[in-house]
Amino acid sequence: MSDLGFSFSLSQLWQIAGGQLILIFASLILIFVDLWLTTDEESDHVATMGWLTALSFLVALWYLVHREWPLHEVVLAGVFSAEKFSVFVSAVVLLAGVFASLLSIGYMRNNRMFRGEYFVLLLFAVYGTIAMLQAVDLLMIFIALEVMSLSVYSLAAFLKDSRKSQEGALKYFLLGCFGSAFFLFGLALTYGLTGTVNITKIAQILSVGPFKHPVVLVALAMLMAGLFFKMSLVPFHMWAPDVYEGSPSIITAYMATAVKAGAFGVFLKLMSVAFTPILSLSGQPDFQSTINLGMLAVYWKPVLWWLALLTMFVGNLVAVSQQNVKRMLAYSSIAHAGYMSLGLLAANSEGRMAVLFYLVVYTIMNFGAFGVLFLIDGKEGKAQTLEDYRGLGYRYPTLSFLMSLFLLSMAGLPPTAGFIGKFYLFAAAIKQGYFVLAALGVMTCVIASYYYLRVVWKFYMEEPAREVVAGNISFVTMGVLICLALGVMYFGILPAGLVHIANVAQQSLAMVF
Amino acid sequence: MATLTHYIILSSILFGIGAIGFLSRRNALILFMSAELMLNSVNLMLVAFSYFRADVAGQVMVIFVFAVAAAEVAVGLAILITLFRHVREVDVTKFNILKW
Repeated sequence: MSDLGFSFSLSQLWQIAGGQLILIFASLILIFVDLWLTTDEESDHVATMGWLTALSFLVALWYLVHREWPLHEVVLAGVFSAEKFSVFVSAVVLLAGVFASLLSIGYMRNNRMFRGEYFVLLLFAVYGTIAMLQAVDLLMIFIALEVMSLSVYSLAAFLKDSRKSQEGALKYFLLGCFGSAFFLFGLALTYGLTGTVNITKIAQILSVGPFKHPVVLVALAMLMAGLFFKMSLVPFHMWAPDVYEGSPSIITAYMATAVKAGAFGVFLKLMSVAFTPILSLSGQPDFQSTINLGMLAVYWKPVLWWLALLTMFVGNLVAVSQQNVKRMLAYSSIAHAGYMSLGLLAANSEGRMAVLFYLVVYTIMNFGAFGVLFLIDGKEGKAQTLEDYRGLGYRYPTLSFLMSLFLLSMAGLPPTAGFIGKFYLFAAAIKQGYFVLAALGVMTCVIASYYYLRVVWKFYMEEPAREVVAGNISFVTMGVLICLALGVMYFGILPAGLVHIANVAQQSLAMVF
Repeated sequence: MATLTHYIILSSILFGIGAIGFLSRRNALILFMSAELMLNSVNLMLVAFSYFRADVAGQVMVIFVFAVAAAEVAVGLAILITLFRHVREVDVTKFNILKW
């Protein structure tokens, strides 16, 4: 079909976007499985759907990691690329999808919420995130962002009888629309200036051409603002605590990890490829004239500096005053986004590596914490406050131990993975000369350890206030939680392997040209 | 004769009206409409760029944006209706059980 102006072959499509295709077909099949599957027990129905969903994620994950990826490939008129960077972040998202689908089985049993379409929406959400990460075209990024967001809005509103869930979802939806309108405005301006929406072509045109235009800055600011909403950096975070508190706990964990991982991945890609002079492996700039792009960095870096600072402080300080553990974790996840933006700000190879490493670690510990939270909760919203957690250490020793481990990792205490992740982030910022910001960031970590350790204190040092009955702890849920706990310890003690993979992944960004 | 600058200014003004409407109004349905206005102002700009650059890609993008906007409304109104069943109200300041 040469008259289309680009070459297209199915085998090429399968090679580049195979992970996405697997997920699309899996979700279409699962819609019908949900309709046709007849089981006597509703909970068996949900369990089957959950396992099938987890299986499709695992197949896609296997497809992504088992093959040797070329450094740069482009398919479909330059819409999708498959380089190691997007494959890495996609793998993180798929991993989050596996955890989410397996934990959801237990969650649905506890809450007696037997809805098969939940898993289909989860598949679409993961599909959208992966498509967004693999896209090298701003329009495709926008569409995939919307596929992801619309599925997640519906999932956030899944507790039909809970007013909190509906209210959170509506707030998320409204501010999400607002944010994507900004992204779209930036897209239109970029298109007007450069005549293209392909991010590598944008970089080529901007680096030789019409940067003098202040409109470039407006476009950049708009694109960044749209992504900041998804990354929930202060002051674009207003929706986050509400929707995190209202949503089903597993979906909260998914939003706090995979959606954020997607937004951070796209931000890194956009900034590193289109709007920053990036050094190739030889240490030389890739373009003849990178000065234009270097000047852009002068504008966006101070903005990100302040946002990182505000995010770390507001997230951690407000979390201290929370009595509801779920809401406290919501604010802490805002603070974690602040730590990760240190790596974005550093914008060197260490910074990018640190962000990728932290995304993995953060996904593991966050899913762990929310996994325990929903078990202690029993039925959504019954035992979420700090008072309910008093003395649980003796009543539920395993759950309390796991929760303590995940919280200590979030606080960044050695020898957990959270410590290593934070160490790399702060080291990258210091290497780039952001001493003040790194020092203030470490200060906020100290504040953070107060509210994390307070939960551990409640577990073991106080008498129970009232009888709390945890939900039914199934074999699958426990298995997932133990895997997560082992992951937290493993990456804390032996981080070298993951660091190496993350480093290879970030290097592939330098070669996207 | 309307030039490209005119179109950019017009669509920026429309986008601004949408953004201000979004931030200042209290009725959730008006917030929807404001968000739609923001998306459609971008459509206007895309068409203008497409015309003045003699490049059809911009008009294709508009179709995509239409599709996305339609999907957004479908999901958004569904959420609003389920919330309305709990609250019997479309005033966003009444959606206040989640705060701090």
